Amino acid sequence: MQQVILKNSVLSWWQKAAKIVVRVLIYALLVFGSVLIVFPFLWMLLSSFKTPLDANALDFSFFPKEWVTSNYAELFASANFPIVDAFFNTILVEVSVIVIGTFVSALAAFSFAKLKLQHKTFWLLFLMSGMMVPYAALMLPQFRVFQAINMFDTLWPLILPGFFGNVSMLFFLVQYMRGVPNAILEAARMDGAGHFTCFIRVMFPLVKTAIAAQVIFWFIGIWNDYFAPSIYLITPDKMTLQALLGSLNPSMNRQYLPMALAGAVLSSIPMFVIYLSCQKFFIESLAISGVKG
Amino acid sequence: MQVNEMQAAAPLAPPAPKKKKVSIQERKERWIAFLFILPPVIGFLIFTALSVIFTVVYSFQHYNALSDISEFVQFENYIDLFTSPTRAPLFRKAIVNTFVLLLSVPFSMILGLILAGLLRLGEIKGSKFFQVLYYVPAVSSAVAMNIVWNYIFRSNGILNTILGIDTVWLDGDVTIKVAIIFKNSINAMGGAMILYLAGMLNVPKDLYEASSLDGAGKLRQFFSITLPLTSPVTFYLLITGVIGGLQSYADAQVFAAGNSGATTIVYFIWQQGIQGNNNQGLASAASVLLAVLIMIITLIQFKLSNKWVYEE
Repeated sequence: MQQVILKNSVLSWWQKAAKIVVRVLIYALLVFGSVLIVFPFLWMLLSSFKTPLDANALDFSFFPKEWVTSNYAELFASANFPIVDAFFNTILVEVSVIVIGTFVSALAAFSFAKLKLQHKTFWLLFLMSGMMVPYAALMLPQFRVFQAINMFDTLWPLILPGFFGNVSMLFFLVQYMRGVPNAILEAARMDGAGHFTCFIRVMFPLVKTAIAAQVIFWFIGIWNDYFAPSIYLITPDKMTLQALLGSLNPSMNRQYLPMALAGAVLSSIPMFVIYLSCQKFFIESLAISGVKG
Repeated sequence: MQVNEMQAAAPLAPPAPKKKKVSIQERKERWIAFLFILPPVIGFLIFTALSVIFTVVYSFQHYNALSDISEFVQFENYIDLFTSPTRAPLFRKAIVNTFVLLLSVPFSMILGLILAGLLRLGEIKGSKFFQVLYYVPAVSSAVAMNIVWNYIFRSNGILNTILGIDTVWLDGDVTIKVAIIFKNSINAMGGAMILYLAGMLNVPKDLYEASSLDGAGKLRQFFSITLPLTSPVTFYLLITGVIGGLQSYADAQVFAAGNSGATTIVYFIWQQGIQGNNNQGLASAASVLLAVLIMIITLIQFKLSNKWVYEE
């Protein structure tokens, strides 16, 4: 025992030094990782201010040789790549899906959590089973039907399914609503409120924050969705932002490169704003999902 | 998501006593309750159940889009997937590519684990800052990221310039996979890091104290305490990563622009069923196989998540 104590006191000075070295090394590694993360975004931003010639040049420079905003101007003016239309199309899908879909999901969650619904387990498992089916296994029949009813190249194939709610939001809200004391609902019922009024007047205000949290995730999911928009939309002014960006694919046409990067920058800004203003909430929800999962 | 499912399904309403007469009030409530869940149920029936059934039906048919005539051909599409001289090689390639590209899942997990370990070991002050920063790619659009990564990896691009090499990343059969695995590992490591950090916080501190009294070093502790006790996180990341990776599409479409070295199963389905190859039967057969594979993995997760991994 004494030997150990002695050893400790002797070693302590270089142990301290080693600790500092280790910390410096760790910081160096973390900064290196940060560079890997930040670089694509920085490169996207810088290159979006280059001329197509500059961006595609063999002896390209890190910073633009000549800072131009023409790529952005072209996006706002071009009929082939109408980013303003794409923005409003995306918002149209977002708002209609989220407003109606959230209402539908929350109402169903209320029923699962607080009403005397028969065969509750069955219906929950029934809805749950849909979560393990990949979109690829659903898209062909839907594609054929949407074509047959003349909804190809419209936003309807992206909007209609959303009207029926979002199952992961539903499950989340069921859990959350279970935590609301029954007494509060009973009090409202005593005053003669029906089930729907109870939901609107009592439950909804109580779970507002939980709903807002889910809405943020859904919003980002729709915003970044690419597969379905890319198969249904072919006319530029009917496209969502991601479909438009995909159609600008610069590996097909290098001329479009800085313009595509400008589009990527513009379409990323709203996501960054949302993410950075709710970062704590994002990290916490993610951490919870893994620990329990 | 899986969490929500399991927890939501667990606490059930107690079975109602059978003989008791149901009051009008209660009968009314049951109906209203059913009415409230009707929209998601209808949505499920149309957009999931019916769609799946029709995908299965299509997989047994040849469909001619021009004449709009379907013809029942039994298992021909499934056989074609593996034997047709023109389609089978494409499908085989897509399967191999998809599975090779799944390598980014373990890589991102290892990177995330190392990063989380570093943050803990160094008791880093700006830990939150790094968590927020490293997670940025996960909330960014896949298309935007793919466009810029494609630009970085191109032959006269900045990566080759910095490294002083002239590798043809985007046209090679192997190199393009390396490029995709690299960028996907970087993009996903932040999420893995956050989950591992959260997992590590749940490991009881006295385990470390006890083992350091026994003379175990940091590295030994990492392998004999941290790693086994964060196995639920490992399992979760592995399963969700594999399920997501099997459905990969944007990498093949945007990053690789259809390069045969990076076509995926879903890209193959798109190519055969939607891109104008008029081959929806074949595409449906491939979709059915993919769906079955993903369902099996999900069920394995459901069944084994409690057995394989450490839980308190």
